[in-house]
Amino acid sequence: MKNVENLTPRRQDARTPGAQLAARPITHPVAWVFWVAAVLVALTTTRNPFYLALVLAMIGWVLVVRGRRDLASQPAAPEISVVRFGLIVVVTSALFNMLMVHVGDHVLFTLPEAIPLFGGPLTLEALVYGALNGLVLAGLFAAFTVLNRVLPVRAVLRLVPRAYYPAAVVMSIAVTFAPTALQQVQQIREAQAVRGHRVRGVRSWLPLIVPLLEGSMERSMQLAEAMMARGFASAEAQPDKRPQLLMLVGLVALVTGWLMRLVWQQPLVGSGLLLAGALALGSALVLAGRQHPHTVYRPDAWHKSDLAVVAGAILTAMIYLLPWPGLDRSSLFYYPYPALTWPAFNPIIGVATLGLALPVFVR
Amino acid sequence: MIRFDHLTYTYPGAALPALNDVSLVLPEGELILVIGPSGSGKSTLLRCINGLVPHFSGGALAGNVRVRGLDPVAATPKVLSRQVGFVFQDPEAQFVMDRVEDEIAFALENAAMSPQEMRVRVEETLDLLDLEPLRDRPLKTLSGGERQRVAIAAALALRPHILVLDEPTSQLDPKSAEDVLNSLVRLNSDLGITILVAEHRLERVLPFVDRILYLPDDGGPILIDDPRTVLNQIELGPPLVNLGKALNWQPLPLTIKEGLRFSRTWMEKQTASHRPPVAGSKWPAAGAARGLLHGRAPYLQAQKVSMQYGSRTVVRGVDFAVWPGEVVALMGRNGAGKTTLLKSLVGLVRPQAGTVRIDGEPIAGREVAEICQKVGYLPQDPNTLLFADTVREEMMVTLRNHGLASKTNGEWRVATGARAADPVELLRRLRLTDKADAYPRDLSVGERQRVALAAITITLPGALLLDEPTRGLDYLAKRELIALLKEWRAGGMAIVLVTHDVELAAALADRVVLMSQGEVIADGAPAEVLGASPLFAPQVARLFPNMGWLTAEDVLLSQER
Repeated sequence: MKNVENLTPRRQDARTPGAQLAARPITHPVAWVFWVAAVLVALTTTRNPFYLALVLAMIGWVLVVRGRRDLASQPAAPEISVVRFGLIVVVTSALFNMLMVHVGDHVLFTLPEAIPLFGGPLTLEALVYGALNGLVLAGLFAAFTVLNRVLPVRAVLRLVPRAYYPAAVVMSIAVTFAPTALQQVQQIREAQAVRGHRVRGVRSWLPLIVPLLEGSMERSMQLAEAMMARGFASAEAQPDKRPQLLMLVGLVALVTGWLMRLVWQQPLVGSGLLLAGALALGSALVLAGRQHPHTVYRPDAWHKSDLAVVAGAILTAMIYLLPWPGLDRSSLFYYPYPALTWPAFNPIIGVATLGLALPVFVR
Repeated sequence: MIRFDHLTYTYPGAALPALNDVSLVLPEGELILVIGPSGSGKSTLLRCINGLVPHFSGGALAGNVRVRGLDPVAATPKVLSRQVGFVFQDPEAQFVMDRVEDEIAFALENAAMSPQEMRVRVEETLDLLDLEPLRDRPLKTLSGGERQRVAIAAALALRPHILVLDEPTSQLDPKSAEDVLNSLVRLNSDLGITILVAEHRLERVLPFVDRILYLPDDGGPILIDDPRTVLNQIELGPPLVNLGKALNWQPLPLTIKEGLRFSRTWMEKQTASHRPPVAGSKWPAAGAARGLLHGRAPYLQAQKVSMQYGSRTVVRGVDFAVWPGEVVALMGRNGAGKTTLLKSLVGLVRPQAGTVRIDGEPIAGREVAEICQKVGYLPQDPNTLLFADTVREEMMVTLRNHGLASKTNGEWRVATGARAADPVELLRRLRLTDKADAYPRDLSVGERQRVALAAITITLPGALLLDEPTRGLDYLAKRELIALLKEWRAGGMAIVLVTHDVELAAALADRVVLMSQGEVIADGAPAEVLGASPLFAPQVARLFPNMGWLTAEDVLLSQER
């Protein structure tokens, strides 16, 4: 692409007072999507505490370095502390699993059978497995916290395929609409209070809800009109049926592939089908997108560093997901039942996990 | 060129056409002001130009429209968006994106423009409206005037030849409105863009307008001509024009500068024959009344009231009092603490320090519901108040809230012995008798405001507080509001107006209180406070400095004496 200079991201302008949003993300949004996908793959594939700890460490590193540096938006509401949330999830999940699943050899103590659900032996295995599941949830939360911090809402919306451009616009409006609605609620509450309204029971909500709905309706109509005046039109009748067909084929392939891997133990064929399905879906979206001609203002530039982030993510995902000749992946599938054992650790998988840390080194 | 040829348009479900056999030719490159009472079809006419009528609204259209050779009915608004930019009334309701730059690019993205060209266009548009310093700002952090300028920029991004604006300043304070109107004047004179603007604030734009398009609502003829010709034929106009017509100043002055030439010679003649009174023709009488009043206790009183939001002090040790039978205008810049002070008088916000008394009793610890039986409060947006099915029901809701209504024969009535206004009489007074069974939200802006007033004053409060009551009102609705408030004042009500509208304060206020940075900086007769201020002086005070006259009526009264 020519004129790349023109399109490179510009850092937030320090002169503008009150500017809160970083104008453009530093790492390309698509690269972030790859990174999050790899994190999801790793977290959902393994229950081995070594690998889980390693993945969590990578997420934490990225969160600390990037989350601070390119804070995309001032958090609207104070963010929940990742560490505190993680601890709560791990502890709750561990206790809950121990109370509910009475399987395993190492019995810690026994609750009387008379207690429904909770009664029975409480085992160390169930406790450990619950904690591991908690770690996975904490990891997911941390990964999405990273995304939330590094990408402005607009950048995320741009990821929506062109076929869904109208839907993306609607989402963008919803994002801006919500705070206005809250403001409205406050005004309405005051207006009703000064005519002696007190909140009692369900019926007394009517004076608050009716003006809110009516007001929102009126504003939506105004917005729709404004959008029309600026050349926004929903798609005309679509004579082209190919995208729908492709999408159907893609979905069938995806589901079959997934079943192949999981149920019929055919990982290679299954993975092939998954890949084919994803390709079909992708081309369906591209085809459908042609029916909504529009362009993107200042598209985010693609840097070499983005390529590195993507490559790292793919490496990690591939090792976790696919069988490779000469690689013993059995250590991934750690399972504490029926008796707790020391988990194994394969250094190759460990090294591959480091691929998730690449965003840290992007300047 | 825009040409309307026997255009008749009826909204879906409407009995009468909104536009009836309109034939017009609007030349290119001019700044055209569209005026007329609400309901005269201004918005409808403007929306025919880019095809929003009938494409968005539906309904039946007959006749022909041609905009630069295009037929907006056959072509779609999407095609017309390249020829016609459109700006709406409420700056908040027309934004799609959340940042200035993205908002401007939205129309370009829809037109599938190449990224390189788009980049250039956005930069040019930013410069055109002086928005460069704001380009990265989230829209919600902008002021009203800045937002409306972004909306204009967004409409201009496709470089249309015509810009149409439907009451772009009616939701803005005067300073922001002036910014917006100034940008329009510049766009028209520097770039030759045809501008059609529907607008209530005539005084700012009149000097720059090439033509006025007047739409009547009573079936009279549509007028389109140069401003002086049209203003001479119609009733509405800013005070300067009204005075000029009454005193037969020709050619009609449109600016204070033009008016001063007439007013000076007029004064010289007057001094020779009549000797008009010195400063404060109106004030001595009102002043005497105030002397009398002040022997009594004020109805509303704030003593050393202070208010903080977080670490920000909004109101700082304010003393403020209103006596029965007087109208006080509370004025000042945005953020001066006016609205906060007003809310503290009904207990919607509670002061950190100081006391508020109503009828001598402190309100601390009393519920808002109880306070507001004695003090009515009209919020800025009357829509937030209305939710019932009929106008009559709105009043009954308030009565039921206060336990002042009882049910007889399945119908709610004012409870016997309750302290409340007679609903029928109140509606008559508010000129809503024939709308008693109408759905409040279907009414015009002025009527909706009066319904809200009915819902508030049904409990016969001794004081009425109004927050920006003339926002969005046309001349006629404004005149009706002034008449109504005068009637209530004569009935002994204490009235407080928070307003930016200098002419309203000049016409109505007995006293003006000026606030700045949370403090009261002036409190006195309108002629003293407003007359001397370079910013707040009404047009008539500028024409006749040091005479104490504020409105056209003041001048004419002095002549008769």
